[in-house]
Amino acid sequence: MPEEEGGGGLLHVSISAEPLFTIGPLTVTNSMVGAVLASAILLFLTWVFLRRPQLVPGRVQSLIEWPIEWISGIVEGTTSRWKGYLALVTGLFLMILVANWIGLLPGVGTVGIIEHHGEEEVLIPFVRAAGADLNFTLALAIVSFVVFVWWGIRINGVGGYLMELVGEPRYMAPLMFPIHLISELSRLVSLSMRLFGNVFAGEVLIGTMLALTTAALFVLPLAFFVPAVFLGLELLFGAVQALVFALLTMTYITMAIAEHEGGHDEEHEQSDPASHTAAAST
Amino acid sequence: MEGNIAALAAGLAMVGAIGPGIGLGIGFSKAMEALGRNPEASGAIFVPYILGLALTEAIGIYCLVVSLILIFAPPA
Repeated sequence: MPEEEGGGGLLHVSISAEPLFTIGPLTVTNSMVGAVLASAILLFLTWVFLRRPQLVPGRVQSLIEWPIEWISGIVEGTTSRWKGYLALVTGLFLMILVANWIGLLPGVGTVGIIEHHGEEEVLIPFVRAAGADLNFTLALAIVSFVVFVWWGIRINGVGGYLMELVGEPRYMAPLMFPIHLISELSRLVSLSMRLFGNVFAGEVLIGTMLALTTAALFVLPLAFFVPAVFLGLELLFGAVQALVFALLTMTYITMAIAEHEGGHDEEHEQSDPASHTAAAST
Repeated sequence: MEGNIAALAAGLAMVGAIGPGIGLGIGFSKAMEALGRNPEASGAIFVPYILGLALTEAIGIYCLVVSLILIFAPPA
């Protein structure tokens, strides 16, 4: 039974972040270290960028500029008010990207202190990928949620925002209002759970692959390449999830800004393409 | 014994990944069809495509999260 509870001898996974130490009332967990590390890297890159910005970018400067320009290009095409949320979307993308990729660095999740829980020895890593902690992803999702609700209220007013929740045929309000309310709140859940699930599953996946192949290492030294393949995949997924979080935030804000159509945008867009393609093919 | 039942439940929870799997396949095939019809539209297709895949994939991720919780933090 003990080897089942630990999920296999070599593999120890904890769904919540492990506390490292406490500063007063604040308990510092290892995912907080990861998040602070990601912020520090971003601040350092900003400092590098601001130290000597050149009109013709050098190698480092264009490396920093490229993702920002790319995201800006996508955001600028959405609505006329893109300047209001460009910084948020870009910031979310860069923060999640760096936080995800930190989790893939060697030493993250493997270097730590050993604690004794009863007879079991448990490794508490110093750094944990920030996205593998629901607190981090939920915090980002709450920021994004507050912003797109705020945009909806700012553009349509409180009454307009509530009317959007009530929906089009007014007499359906008792049925549709709770549904719209839940769908609004489910964005919060889906944004946070998607990022958490992806990053956490990635950590577990790589850990499982390492634990599986370490046993075969003495027979087949090539076994190290199996986790390496999944590391490459996680590199891709980390970038895709960062992009998805940023783009979904952008889409929700865009939907909040679009007056009238608001909540009905989705249904129209889903039914329309058929007629569009039919019109295009004739 | 409880651990074994939690493991069984974790496996059963992943049955829910069938739906998103089918959905992802449909989404991908439609995107490829669109690309085949109009290769120049790859830039315009990319962002809605990624968003759609992310929304579909989220359902599968819910199953995965439930399953992982059942494995690594089984309810007593």
